[in-house]
Amino acid sequence: MAIEARGLTKVFETGRRRTRRRIEAVRDLDLSVAAGERVAYIGPNGAGKSTSIKILTGILHPTAGEATVLGLTPWEDRRRLARRIGTLFGQRSLLWLELTPRQSYRMLAAIYDLDRAAEARRVAELGDLLDAADLFEQPVRTLSLGQRMRCELAACLLHDPEILFLDEPTIGLDLVAKQRLRELLVRLNEQQGTTIFLTSHDVADIEHVAKRAVVINHGEVIYDDEVAAMHRTLLATKVVEVGLVAPIVAPRQAGVTVLEHTDQAMRLVVDTHLTPIRAVLDQLLDGPSVVDISVVDPPLEQVIAEIYELPAR
Amino acid sequence: MTHRAVVEAVRAAAHRSASDGGGLVVSVAFYVVIVGTLSGLWRVAVDANGGDLAGYSAVALTWYIITSEAAIVSVNARHIEDIGTDIAHGTVAVEMLRPASVLGIRMATEVGRGLPKVVVLWGAGAVVATVVAGAPPRPAALLLAAPSLVLAITANLFAQHTVAAIAFWIRDAGSVWFLYLKAVFITGGMIIPMELLPDGLQTASLFMPFRAMAYVPARLAAGYWEPALLLEQVFWIAVLAVVANAAFGAGERRLQVVGG
Repeated sequence: MAIEARGLTKVFETGRRRTRRRIEAVRDLDLSVAAGERVAYIGPNGAGKSTSIKILTGILHPTAGEATVLGLTPWEDRRRLARRIGTLFGQRSLLWLELTPRQSYRMLAAIYDLDRAAEARRVAELGDLLDAADLFEQPVRTLSLGQRMRCELAACLLHDPEILFLDEPTIGLDLVAKQRLRELLVRLNEQQGTTIFLTSHDVADIEHVAKRAVVINHGEVIYDDEVAAMHRTLLATKVVEVGLVAPIVAPRQAGVTVLEHTDQAMRLVVDTHLTPIRAVLDQLLDGPSVVDISVVDPPLEQVIAEIYELPAR
Repeated sequence: MTHRAVVEAVRAAAHRSASDGGGLVVSVAFYVVIVGTLSGLWRVAVDANGGDLAGYSAVALTWYIITSEAAIVSVNARHIEDIGTDIAHGTVAVEMLRPASVLGIRMATEVGRGLPKVVVLWGAGAVVATVVAGAPPRPAALLLAAPSLVLAITANLFAQHTVAAIAFWIRDAGSVWFLYLKAVFITGGMIIPMELLPDGLQTASLFMPFRAMAYVPARLAAGYWEPALLLEQVFWIAVLAVVANAAFGAGERRLQVVGG
């Protein structure tokens, strides 16, 4: 197993003596991830995702429970483990902002004991893999967020880690940059066998990157299954947002619920088990009134609400 | 942490600092104004005292001031505040993900950042001192003052990291930098040579590390051939390194328990 956790619990205490509060950020977490898996570890803000990642990478001690990552106890063997894993926090930089990525890689290579030849070979490989070689010579502070994330990814892959922990890597990225990053992660997993452990509160990250989804809420795992199964049960609902120039009649198809309908706009929820999304779009576009249309995933909060409604397994 | 990682951290930071032409120009302008003013005041005081003040001539005091100021101005005065912010905002937690000492990389980076500055500032100061006062009283002593400046920066940075480590326990360590700077000003000999301090303060300063940060290189540049002062700096660096390492180690362990 690449990652194994049993009964992992983390309790934070906040406030002073009289007003002290205990916050259970992670509660009795059981988790096994095999080498080479692509796992999305998802949950809303405050669910305990980042705390779990910090425990599994050795930054935090758990209050209770056991965990091994690549056979090492993260909080006891933090530096040894750091040589074998890569970690990317979407809102924290591994690069030195005043340097170019290539200069940062030189420093990181020295920290990871890569000799100059190995460093040069690896940077060239990653430049090709991430299609980012032309970005490596520009100061980090001049890069767009999407470009910077590709360079950050190269930084955490420099020492060829066996597991890649990514904490909200797509946060703040535009749609094109998000999609590109997702494709890169899949390619990395398929070509190099790197285990991907990704946290996100974006449902699309699960669909495009992961083969398995673990959903956490209030510190507890509430769902753990293949993404394909999740598609059949939880992600079958889509929201369709329509902009109009003239009033139209709302579609009356099975599984289509109208959430909002005015002369200028309409919002529908479509249960794709009952009616394919294409059939709904065909009907909406069969006339001149529609000027804008978008299909979006349900928000994670809705997915979680549906998980609680699933029959116990 | 490997020797190569330290060298790379120093090299990269030095390169970055040297490339910041605008920042260097501002630092030099600020420094020249300060040393011009202070050395002018000291020359008046020495002249009023018959050309000698506690063994320092007007020329010696000018070289003293340009060196003590270079040692201090080369280091970010508010570094304590910056480290505290990095601890409070979780930046240090991310640095813990590298297989290297957080303190070691930070120290190497900051020393590297200070090196180009100290070279440029001391060079500018030497020009000012030569023009307004004259050649160094004992040029050979500058050979001791040069490495002493590097040791001074190192001691200062280790001390700042030691003090800043309190941010692992308290949320706002920002105000501490002000007290620290005052200690360096007075007991470090940054503005006033130790020999001119009251006896009690002189004695007390012997037991504090601040002399190693300004007074020692300044005294050497003022023409005093006293190699033992370098050993004093090395002693304080060793002490501060042990304390800073212990403070950061304890802070990192606390961060692992309570989060950051």
